Amino acid sequence: MRRVVAVALLLVVAALATYPIVGTGYGVRSVQQIFMWIALAGSWNLISGLTGYVSFGHVAFFGAGAYAGAILVASAGWPWPLAALAGGAAAVALAVVIGYPCLRLKGPYFAIAMLGLNEVLRALVSYFEGLTGGGNGLSLPTLDASVPIYYVMGGLALAVTGVAWLIVTSRFGLRLMTIREDELAAEAMGIDTFHHKLAALLLSAAGPGVAGALTARDQGYIEPISVFPLAITVTMIVMALFGGKGTVFGPVLGAVVLFVAQEIVWARYPYVHPLLFGAIIIAVVLLMPRGVLGLLQQRYRLPRTI
Amino acid sequence: MISKAPAALAVAVALAVGGVVPATAQGPIRIGASLSLTGTYAKLGKNQHEGYQLCEKDLNAKGGLLGRKVQFVVYDDQSMPATAVRLYEKLITEDKVDAIMGPYSSPVTEAAVNVTEKYKKVMVAPLAATTSIFKKGRKYVFMVISPAEVYLEGLIDMAAKRGLKTVAVVNEDTLFSKAAASGAVELAKKKGLQVVYTEAYPKGNTDFSALLTKLKAANADVLAAATYFDDAVALTRQMKELNVNPKMYGVTVGGDLPEFYDTLKQNAEYIYGATQWEPTLPYPGNQEWFEAYKKEFGHDPSYHSAAGYAGCVIYAEAAKRASGLDADHVREQLLKLETRTIFGDYKVDAEGFQTAHKMVTFQWQKEKKATVWPDDLAKAKPLFPTPPWTSR
Amino acid sequence: MLGQVIVSGILAGSLYAMVALGLGLIFGVMRVINIAHGPLLMLGAYTTYFLTTRAGMNPFLTVPVAMALLFGVGLLLQRALVFRVVDAPELSSLLLTFGISIALVNLAQLAFTSDLRAVEYITGAWVVGGLALSKPRVIAFLFAAAVTALSFLLLQRTRLGKAIRATSQSREVAMVCGVDVARIHMLTFGFGAALAAAGGALLAVIVAIQPEMGGVWTFKSFLVIVLGGAGNYPGALLGGLLLGLVEQVASLFLTTQLSEVVAYVLLVLVLLVRPSGLLGGRQT
Repeated sequence: MRRVVAVALLLVVAALATYPIVGTGYGVRSVQQIFMWIALAGSWNLISGLTGYVSFGHVAFFGAGAYAGAILVASAGWPWPLAALAGGAAAVALAVVIGYPCLRLKGPYFAIAMLGLNEVLRALVSYFEGLTGGGNGLSLPTLDASVPIYYVMGGLALAVTGVAWLIVTSRFGLRLMTIREDELAAEAMGIDTFHHKLAALLLSAAGPGVAGALTARDQGYIEPISVFPLAITVTMIVMALFGGKGTVFGPVLGAVVLFVAQEIVWARYPYVHPLLFGAIIIAVVLLMPRGVLGLLQQRYRLPRTI
Repeated sequence: MISKAPAALAVAVALAVGGVVPATAQGPIRIGASLSLTGTYAKLGKNQHEGYQLCEKDLNAKGGLLGRKVQFVVYDDQSMPATAVRLYEKLITEDKVDAIMGPYSSPVTEAAVNVTEKYKKVMVAPLAATTSIFKKGRKYVFMVISPAEVYLEGLIDMAAKRGLKTVAVVNEDTLFSKAAASGAVELAKKKGLQVVYTEAYPKGNTDFSALLTKLKAANADVLAAATYFDDAVALTRQMKELNVNPKMYGVTVGGDLPEFYDTLKQNAEYIYGATQWEPTLPYPGNQEWFEAYKKEFGHDPSYHSAAGYAGCVIYAEAAKRASGLDADHVREQLLKLETRTIFGDYKVDAEGFQTAHKMVTFQWQKEKKATVWPDDLAKAKPLFPTPPWTSR
Repeated sequence: MLGQVIVSGILAGSLYAMVALGLGLIFGVMRVINIAHGPLLMLGAYTTYFLTTRAGMNPFLTVPVAMALLFGVGLLLQRALVFRVVDAPELSSLLLTFGISIALVNLAQLAFTSDLRAVEYITGAWVVGGLALSKPRVIAFLFAAAVTALSFLLLQRTRLGKAIRATSQSREVAMVCGVDVARIHMLTFGFGAALAAAGGALLAVIVAIQPEMGGVWTFKSFLVIVLGGAGNYPGALLGGLLLGLVEQVASLFLTTQLSEVVAYVLLVLVLLVRPSGLLGGRQT
């Protein structure tokens, strides 16, 4: 059984790796988007799914990475792969700044703080317009790197999923989940909840940071409104919830299924898009809180660490 | 002697086959575009879409373009540049459309242009007003409307002519408004006015009281506000509340919409606005076009409708002159073309930047918009100075 | 200039206080963070808009109507959806109300379109000693003060109010004392929604109405709760006024852009220094 699964996975990876040779420009961009969502949903899962600390402002890390990466490419001439890593680092730095005050307290305060983070970053970007171009946005030198970015984004998706798997199968992950289930008990047991939560937050910020920088390079132009939209946070939450928060492959499943659904079905009904997402969130929370994967895990006695 | 008959027959057959085959193999000319049908720009994006639709209808009524029918393929980018980029890739690489027309707004155009340049497709971008888009060495993008920087030109010019000395400039912190504001500041300085106060406010800001309090203290003769709709409304209301009384007060986008007056009623009187187009301007076929649009869509067109229509017409004209859709030939024609449509004059420089189109400044007078600038298009005199709120 | 902004701050603060009180009640009684609070405010604003433009009602008279309507909506939401997550981990209630908020905003976009609406009723200001007192904002202030005062009266003097406060302090003990906790939860959610609606109704005359208008109010209401102390209802009043003042005064010295950051910095500072709020509340 294990062998079959491993071979199947390898085939999938091989197919994806060779796709750019046969795919159209649009096709390559679309799959690249799926990779991005896998990375984003997976990252959100690291903090919110595992520790139970809901992050409503996760797109802030995406935007921070986008700006850091874009500024380095446009103003300092950095090569984009390096800028992407820097984007991840910037996001992690932001996570430290936010995490320190907000994670000392319980969940609700963290959620509230994350809710407003987005707007603040937008305001700061506008304020430091000498650096960021403010409302004018930032243009990067033209470069068609669609295919290399495809591979890097794919690598990112793999990395985030890999990190998730490592965490879930480790004691560190168990401790995070203990915090989720009963933080008081966790503390009583001697777990340093603050540092664990902080570590989870930092890990969850890196992925979006890199993804943001890559997206900035890919689009060639960013402006505050388009890299800090609530829609990105909503989408990553829906994907992770639907697939199964707290699981490793849940976000992957959620990202693929919902992205495809979006492109094929919902593109025809753009007007009700957010409504559908809202309805899915409500349905999942009430009816299948552990997501599709969680349901399958229960039904078919799948291993906990999927 | 060689018999000519078989050769002639062969040529005749070849011509017949050659003549017949292309005709049946030609489908409609598909023009692709990504428009903001939902999201922040939905209202104006829809008007642009209607402009494209009317153009499609009119072209087909006259026999189509290059002997083929015209068919628009339109997707919704939800007012997001990232989505527009993907959709233009889709239109070009998957739907394989024959031609491209531009999206709504400068930010979306700026992002989309990278795609069209990559695939070397001509894109007439009728609703992009930001100069920087057309100054980056791009080859296949063409501007139709006047740039953002001149939106407030009329206001500043009229102020200078009447001997006013000081001006305050405020703007929303987005691409277009910033360009309009910086253009206003440049123009003011050129005409000898002193800029005494500037401030940018975030998009979505609803409370201008602090801004206006500081502005009132600066006591400027003129207030030039680079706005959209809701900020223009909020700003005006709060000016009345805080009793801020410049001698001239002008806004940019949003001030020309009928809703502006409907919402503010009397308080909109005396406000100057700038518009790329008015149905009353003496451009060829303008009045008829206005009636036709109203009949087709059941509401008045805005300048976005007119610009969309004109952009499509201009592209068609260039394609006709190039006798085909080859990007480089059409591009050559667009660079050379000088014409006047229902929307106004068209002429671009070597970078595709619009140089001929003129904006007009109007003032709300007795519930109507009266064109007051430039002088050769003006229909009325401005009511100057704007009386203070308390004495209206 | 300073005097002017202080006045503006107090006027704005009263609305913050009233709306935040609604949120605070829901949080205090049910430990539910109602992310949908902003959208409920938005629905209140639309109620006023339609009653004023279609039925010709005086906008200020629509306030009680909007409150009653959204009270009903709140009851419904609680009875159908929210009650299921009251005992669940906080993650669930956060996500649920988040889902509800997105759905409500989109429903509003579908039903009302994103076109900006505005209610034109009264504009201008009373000028008192060189200070301009915006007419619509002063009237809103008076209404908000009245509604808030009535709310406190209800909380302090009536049996219902005492039951609410008891449940807020300790659910188990309240139950033991015979309070129908489920019913209290329902009524509190409705009450909270009604307060949000009142805020929306009053805002309708001041700002442009559009489906996304509520989002920023959710965050600021939380901020007020944090400032005043969770579970501390009078604290919401102080917090609201404080927020209003800080924002206005800050915009005087900083640009309008940065004033958004100020609110946030305030939040972080309070969380760092005195997380139980300025007046002290209950730790969660």
